[in-house]
Amino acid sequence: MAELTFTPVIGIEIHIRLKSDSKLFCSCSTDTDAAPNTNICPVCMGLPGTLPRLNHKVVEQGILAGLALNCGIRPKSLFFRKSYFYPDLPKGHQVSQCDLPITTSGYIEVHDAEGNLKKIRVHHLHLEEDVGSLHHSASDGRLEGADTSYVDYNRCGTPLAEIVSEPDVASAAEAVEYVMNLRRRVIYSGASDVELEKGMMRFDANVSMKCSDGRWGHKVEVKNMNSFKALERAIEFEIKRQKKLMLNGEDVIQETRHWNDAKGITSSSRVKENYRKFIVEPDLPPLHVTQEWIDRMKAKMPEMPDVKARRYVSEMKIPPEVADVLTDDKNLAAYFEACVAAGANPVRASHWVRTEVLRVMNEKQWKIADFNIKPEVLASLVARVDEGKISTTQGKEVFDYMTANNSGVDEAIKKLGITEGGVAGNALNDVIQTVLKNNPDVLEEIKSGKDTKGKKLKFLQGLVMKETKGQAKPQEVAEAIEKAVRN
Amino acid sequence: MKLSSEEVNSIALESRLLLNEAELAGAVRYINNFLDMLDRFKELDLKDVEPFSFAEALECPLRDDTVIAFPDNEAILHESEHVDGSYFKVPRIMEE
Amino acid sequence: MELYEYNLHELVEKLKSKEISPSEIFESCKKRIDDCEENIHAFITRTEDFAKAQLSKELTGIFAGVPTVLKDNLCTKGIRTTAASKILGNWRPPYDATAWKDLRSAGAILMGKVNMDEFAMGNTCGNSAFGPTHNPNDISRVPGGSSGGSAAAVSAGYVSFSLGSDTGGSIRQPASYCGVYGLKPTYGMVSRYGLISYGSSLDQIGPFARTVRDLQLVMSVISNYDPMDSSCFREKAHDFTHNENPSIKGKKIALVKEFQGFTLDAPIADAMNKIKKILEDEGAIITEVSLPVVSRYAVACYYALAMSEAHTNLERYDGVRLGYTVKDAAGIKEMFERVRSYGFGPEVKSRIIAGTCLTEPTRCEEYYVAATKVRTLIAQEFSRAFGETDFILQPVTPSMPPKIGEADEDAMKGYEADLYTLPVNLAGLPGLSFFTGYADKLPVGLQLIGPRWSDPELLHAGVIIERHTGSPKIANGGVK
Ligand SMILES: [Mg+2]
Ligand SMILES: [Zn+2]
Repeated sequence: MAELTFTPVIGIEIHIRLKSDSKLFCSCSTDTDAAPNTNICPVCMGLPGTLPRLNHKVVEQGILAGLALNCGIRPKSLFFRKSYFYPDLPKGHQVSQCDLPITTSGYIEVHDAEGNLKKIRVHHLHLEEDVGSLHHSASDGRLEGADTSYVDYNRCGTPLAEIVSEPDVASAAEAVEYVMNLRRRVIYSGASDVELEKGMMRFDANVSMKCSDGRWGHKVEVKNMNSFKALERAIEFEIKRQKKLMLNGEDVIQETRHWNDAKGITSSSRVKENYRKFIVEPDLPPLHVTQEWIDRMKAKMPEMPDVKARRYVSEMKIPPEVADVLTDDKNLAAYFEACVAAGANPVRASHWVRTEVLRVMNEKQWKIADFNIKPEVLASLVARVDEGKISTTQGKEVFDYMTANNSGVDEAIKKLGITEGGVAGNALNDVIQTVLKNNPDVLEEIKSGKDTKGKKLKFLQGLVMKETKGQAKPQEVAEAIEKAVRN
Repeated sequence: MKLSSEEVNSIALESRLLLNEAELAGAVRYINNFLDMLDRFKELDLKDVEPFSFAEALECPLRDDTVIAFPDNEAILHESEHVDGSYFKVPRIMEE
Repeated sequence: MELYEYNLHELVEKLKSKEISPSEIFESCKKRIDDCEENIHAFITRTEDFAKAQLSKELTGIFAGVPTVLKDNLCTKGIRTTAASKILGNWRPPYDATAWKDLRSAGAILMGKVNMDEFAMGNTCGNSAFGPTHNPNDISRVPGGSSGGSAAAVSAGYVSFSLGSDTGGSIRQPASYCGVYGLKPTYGMVSRYGLISYGSSLDQIGPFARTVRDLQLVMSVISNYDPMDSSCFREKAHDFTHNENPSIKGKKIALVKEFQGFTLDAPIADAMNKIKKILEDEGAIITEVSLPVVSRYAVACYYALAMSEAHTNLERYDGVRLGYTVKDAAGIKEMFERVRSYGFGPEVKSRIIAGTCLTEPTRCEEYYVAATKVRTLIAQEFSRAFGETDFILQPVTPSMPPKIGEADEDAMKGYEADLYTLPVNLAGLPGLSFFTGYADKLPVGLQLIGPRWSDPELLHAGVIIERHTGSPKIANGGVK
């Protein structure tokens, strides 16, 4: 009997916090770092008699995020009430566009196991409100076995985009590439900063397995992943678990499972998920988005990161891995492109940005916006090195001096005592004559023909380079010394 | 009878309502009579009818993304008997 | 004549000319309340301290110094608001309902928050956690509901006007039972912000008064665009200016064909004939429209939608953030169950269960979605009808106010009695409940319905009818 093979069938649901100053349905601040329960009002607290008011900006962010996922925008969408009882949900229902969302379908490209591009279809993106945050604690401070929960409603009502994929993902690696690429695109669109450490992106995955013998396992919904790593590990765990069950001829039970990040396992959730048909939110008339509005949003959309990276490779001959790094951050890519626009050689500039700029940003914990060498300035530095006016080593010294002292190129060169254009010609001959005069014995040895391996000549060259602070071209130095020795 | 008393009871629990025997009997009667009344809908051909959820072809108005802090969040907190410090403190969530 | 007997427009004039002072009318109303309240029980919360604080400051606006009361589902900042439910406990909203804010800015003085059926679910004002209100015309009878307290307060002369809310007849039916005028405005005409929701797509705030002209005055104050309510009108302002000599000459006023076979109590049937005659004398053309879907399906459609929306509106009452709560529950589920089981009354629980049932995934298509489609047919039927006629004349209820405790045992029968009022809410139309006269000392009311946004014209028609019938008297209020 042939060995059984299993194909994972994975769908991913993502919640992304959209960027806005005020909440989705009220004018409270979206600052979730504020002191607990300070950014609350009658509306987001679901007080009796209050009504929601839709935030224009959030709709725009939803459109931008949708466009970033190659989705179409629906001219008329609706809000619904999704009911469940939980203390972090003040109205007892979440207002969500789940049934008639603002976008139609789209896709995100990833690489499959063979390295080919593959589309993961996005079923839709919809707008919805977030819930409050819960902190559990027991009398002794432990999380487990807590006897009370503390609720902070600051987050309640902040705007979310929920993005639902088709079950096109076939591995944990594809899942991670999907969410990473999706995240970059959304950031590029300006719809969200998607700061992972702030919990602005949360994942659920639907995992099931198809067996080569024709069996289909039931779908398992895995919840509670807050990082790429957690998503990857949870999917890997679930694939392994389901495969084992099916190999043993057992059933995979259709259920919701919780990812426990500390233990690295999924476990059956005791919460009964009651699927509830949603009623239309009667307090919000249909959301209309005109074609004109969509066009305006489209005009705002920047080139997407994966498209940009591909362009860097094809147009600028930049290595793919460098292109990937440069396009990871929209602002870094913009910085790089500004360097090129200012005349820098693209390949050289890409290396400078990837190595030097990123190194300094990393050391100083800077964002590209904090970086204090203007792209035109870096371009001129790159050009000077390129044209041989200063050496690569000197270039790096100049670079470091500029970031450390907020200075321009000329100032740095002057302060470092570098002679632009190097030490050459008569100036170089002067230096050589001095070196020869100070080392008569070495000169004698060479002239007598004992320096068969050219070691002494190299020694003199080193002295000259040192004397010129490396500003002479080694080739020229070698030639000039030889000439001087023979004279 | 469309719904048994068990079914009605489970719907009540879903709504977080505990019914005593008399209440449950009343609810069973009520809901079955009500569902009988709704059977009339079956006389109509509703296949191609658009649902109506709003009084007219209203468009959702959109508000500017401006932060206006509610001036008196203390007045909101003050109304809860579960406020502990700056948090709402509730009994443990046992379902998870 | 006592000061409290002045109708709103008279009072406004006399306060403006300083013929009477705000504190004089306050004292007179307070005394009237003291004299009758034991018999009528219209109040849930009396707010005379708040009123006095208002009187101690300078009052401006067209209602400066005019006492009023609000149905207790309208939020009042810092003043207990209960929706007649135990579950709200002693909740004091941190904000004012827009309609009340408008009245307050116009100088109105709040005498109190008045009784209603719990969460506006009922038509007797007997489903209240605070006990029933009595009809000031005959205290053995119900005042109608759910805005029974608002109607009774105006009828008994506590105040010259009040606000209520109408989800399926809750203004028009008590207005009719108590012998006052009540307007259910077009959906979107008055901001619902601060109105504790029952069926959000059906709810509308409206006024009670003892003359039509008074309704016009109140509407001119509370009918404003409010950004806080996304379903509020946003185009032009509506003109509720009183016109001394309105005309309905040549206007078509229709009776509903399908309703003609239904039985009505004799005084109501008589009133229909009387008003038809008056309208004809005024040059209107009495005609007929057919509303077959309305007559057969509106009741089922209404209750299906009202309950589906209501159960989601009532999900927020869990004891965490406000109102009644328990502090010794072992887990959150137990807490929610205990709070809700104790806090809600029986009618509310029935409707929550029904609403939950109708929106279950297995039944949603069959009931909730079907009802939203039937609603489309009903709205279309009305818009066709208003292509043929200007107004529709019909009863408010088929029967005269029942004795307290004699309401229908069978809930569904009671619901059928709302057939004349609730289609108006399904289609978002305005409906005027007007006084026609007395039969055996009990007032008899009828209803005039118009197309959406025809509220001003509806009130002009009301003025014409009132000229013939005379305005209602202040009810005796059970005073020996
Ligand atoms: Mg969601
Ligand atoms: Zn808020």
